[in-house]
Amino acid sequence: MGGLSVMWDNLTAFFSHGPNIVFTVLAVVIISAAVLMINFDKIVHMVLAMALAFIGLGGLYILLAAEFVAIVQILIYGGAMTILMIFGIMMTRHKNQEEEAKRPVHNVLLLIGVVALFGILFYAIQGTAFVTGAPLDPGSDNTAAIGELIFNNHVIPFELVSVLLTVAFIGAIVMAKREEE
Amino acid sequence: MESTYAQFAWIVPLAPLVAFLLLLAVGRQVNRFSAHIGFAATLVSFIFALLVFVERLGEGSAYVWQDWDWLTIGGTAIGLGFEVNNLNALMLVIVSGVSMLVNLYSAGYMKGDPRYSVFFGYVALFTFSMLGLVLSSNLLELYIFWELVGVCSFLLIGFWYFKPEAKAAAKKAFIVTRIGDVGLLIAILILYWQVPYHDLGFVNLANAVTEGAIEPGVLTLVAILIFVGAVGKSGQFPLHTWLPDAMEGPTPISALIHAATMVAAGVYLVARTFFIFESSAAAMTVVAVVGAFTALFAATIGVAQNDIKRVLAYSTVSQLGYMMMALGVGAQVAAMFHLTTHAFFKALLFLAAGSVIHAVGKQDVNELGGLGKKMKVTAWTFAIGALALSGLFPLSGFWSKDAILTEALHENVLYFIVGLIAAFFTAFYMARLFFLIFAGKPRSSHDGHEPHESPAVMTVPLVILAVLAVVAGFIFTPFNSWFGDWLSGQPAGEHANWTVIILSNLTALLGIGLGWLMYGKRSIDSEAVAAKFGWLHKLVQNKYYIDEIYDAVIVKPVKALGDFLHLVDRFVVDGVVKLFAGSALLIGRLGTRMQNGQLQGYGLVSLLGIVLLMVLLAGRRFFHVG
Amino acid sequence: MDNILPSYLILGAILFCIGLYGALSKKNAVIVLLSIELMLNASNLNFVAFAKYGPNPALSGQIFSLFTITIAAAEAAVGVAILLALFRNKGTSDVVEMDHLKH
Repeated sequence: MGGLSVMWDNLTAFFSHGPNIVFTVLAVVIISAAVLMINFDKIVHMVLAMALAFIGLGGLYILLAAEFVAIVQILIYGGAMTILMIFGIMMTRHKNQEEEAKRPVHNVLLLIGVVALFGILFYAIQGTAFVTGAPLDPGSDNTAAIGELIFNNHVIPFELVSVLLTVAFIGAIVMAKREEE
Repeated sequence: MESTYAQFAWIVPLAPLVAFLLLLAVGRQVNRFSAHIGFAATLVSFIFALLVFVERLGEGSAYVWQDWDWLTIGGTAIGLGFEVNNLNALMLVIVSGVSMLVNLYSAGYMKGDPRYSVFFGYVALFTFSMLGLVLSSNLLELYIFWELVGVCSFLLIGFWYFKPEAKAAAKKAFIVTRIGDVGLLIAILILYWQVPYHDLGFVNLANAVTEGAIEPGVLTLVAILIFVGAVGKSGQFPLHTWLPDAMEGPTPISALIHAATMVAAGVYLVARTFFIFESSAAAMTVVAVVGAFTALFAATIGVAQNDIKRVLAYSTVSQLGYMMMALGVGAQVAAMFHLTTHAFFKALLFLAAGSVIHAVGKQDVNELGGLGKKMKVTAWTFAIGALALSGLFPLSGFWSKDAILTEALHENVLYFIVGLIAAFFTAFYMARLFFLIFAGKPRSSHDGHEPHESPAVMTVPLVILAVLAVVAGFIFTPFNSWFGDWLSGQPAGEHANWTVIILSNLTALLGIGLGWLMYGKRSIDSEAVAAKFGWLHKLVQNKYYIDEIYDAVIVKPVKALGDFLHLVDRFVVDGVVKLFAGSALLIGRLGTRMQNGQLQGYGLVSLLGIVLLMVLLAGRRFFHVG
Repeated sequence: MDNILPSYLILGAILFCIGLYGALSKKNAVIVLLSIELMLNASNLNFVAFAKYGPNPALSGQIFSLFTITIAAAEAAVGVAILLALFRNKGTSDVVEMDHLKH
């Protein structure tokens, strides 16, 4: 009886803090979107569910005082990635190939493995005593702060990433090009 | 005592061994000379055997040499060696002499056979084994040669292996004698366990028995077991069934092995271990009863057989029965005497029969006849052999058979009566054989293949053996007991028992007379007699159905057991093996299914592996604490 | 209020596992790619959460997650390009049909 009342006290303490409620709502949205993605039948529905998950994650980033990352997330993932996938679906579709071949043994084993993995991670997280340092000082403008950090401390990775992006899209173009007859 | 020749007695078995090895190696190249090699080797053996024998005629103790340690286990050693005493020396002469004559005879009989050299090789091996058996100084060595002799017998019976009857006969001979050999082996084991110093040498055994180092019950058991071995080898009832079938082998072999030497090995064994038998009255009774019964039993069967060699085979069984009976009543001298004379006249009879078979190509008595005119030497020598076997005065068989019958009468009049009846039948069937083959008119055509006398190389041994069959008897008569004195080392003066002499001669004459009346003069119709005693005749002609009984009672159940065990082997034992193989295959197939090129499959396996690894690594904390 | 970090981490773990399940069990290659993106997002969430609530709060966590997003985008692009090329050769976008690893 004592354990239950402790739990109730913890819950009420948790939900009395505003951001926690938002976190809970967003978490539910994201998880249900992800699960729906797995379980939908039509591919386009799957992609849309995924887009919802990405957007939800963006909201979560705002909650974490990472506005710039949130915007980038919504732009890139929710926008470009989703469109990219839809284009991919569009160009690789035969008529009506939505039946899933049943692989029961494979799926069951996979379920067991994934649940086990989650169990291990959960156990690891629960067992760790996290130490919170000084609260983050987000500064007045998140974007400016990030920009300063990137161009002062992390220029080289920045340049490398731009090279990588160039290489990537050239490669993608070459690969997806229709072969000369 | 200085012995000039006895220490070289090992040369006697060695010469045929060298011949065997030589024939084995270069037999094919020297094909025509195989007989010469065989004869030369046995001649050497015979000469040395004679030298040893003559030396033994003088006074002296036995010469024993057992210095070669063959097997050493911990503290005990089993040695090999040889011993020369009076009994041995006699056997050496008999075996090497008959072997020499058979080698000579076979040069003519086996001429043209594609495996000529193999034959002489086998005969040489057999001669070596038999001579080694005779010279053995301890019981284990004797057993080794005993088995070797059995193997040679097997090889030679099945010499014409393309004949299924020969193959079956060879197997039967080996298996039936093996049954007897088991008895001998058990006896050896018991003796090894009981005897002081674990020394199986005959000298040591004799001492152990006379000193009473072994309990009487054990001695009786050992004696009976040794006798079982002798029953197998010498074809006594109930292990006699192999000997008549062994006639599938070439006739010289029947003469050498199954008349003169190997079958005598059983008698020799009992004589050699006679000190064990003498100490147990029960064992002696067993030996005598079995011997007497066999003598009568085989004689009755011989009366109704139609194959020459089978008649002679049953006759051999019967005469061996006489020898066993003699041993059973304590007449070691009489038994060895009969063994000697029997070796001569039975080998003679077989070789003569071989001469007939070689000339005519037929063995069934009903198809022969009238050969007396064309094969005079064969006919005369056969007649002499037959008369000797019947025990007619003054041939050798008479003296030896008489010696046995006299001793038998002393022991128990029943033995004497049985022996007498068997003698009657013996004389009868020999007369029947003689008249059917050599007298009267030919009963079947000879396909333009006119029978003529055999070549000299075959008739000379016949003549030599005939002479021996006549004169060999004079070494031990009631008036001259030299043989008995020499063999047993004590004065064995035999008193002439006129009852026995007259009765035995009378019986022999009666048998011959009846045979002449039925088959010579044809005044009594044999067919009518056979019809009158219909069921009896059928019973006897079918050997009392012993083979059929064995087949039904022993062979078929054993075969059924074998088939059942074969099924067990196939399904249970093989099943277990197949189970393991199958499960390995199954695991393999399961593994193959994983290697299907599916990335998601590989990913799944990796995931499971990682999870397992993390669980194990993290879990170590708990298990170490606990 | 005290310690919301574990909740973020568990949320990340859940998303990661769902993404893993999708990557290893879906037949359509596009969905597999999408699930992989979900897994990458889950790790991003971890970075940003630690950037705010970790033992050493700093903005470098967010910067790192920016880089991760960039790389993920590049990888998705290349992945779809490969998928198009494969589709042209095989006529199907079914991952079960892609078994060249077998030979």
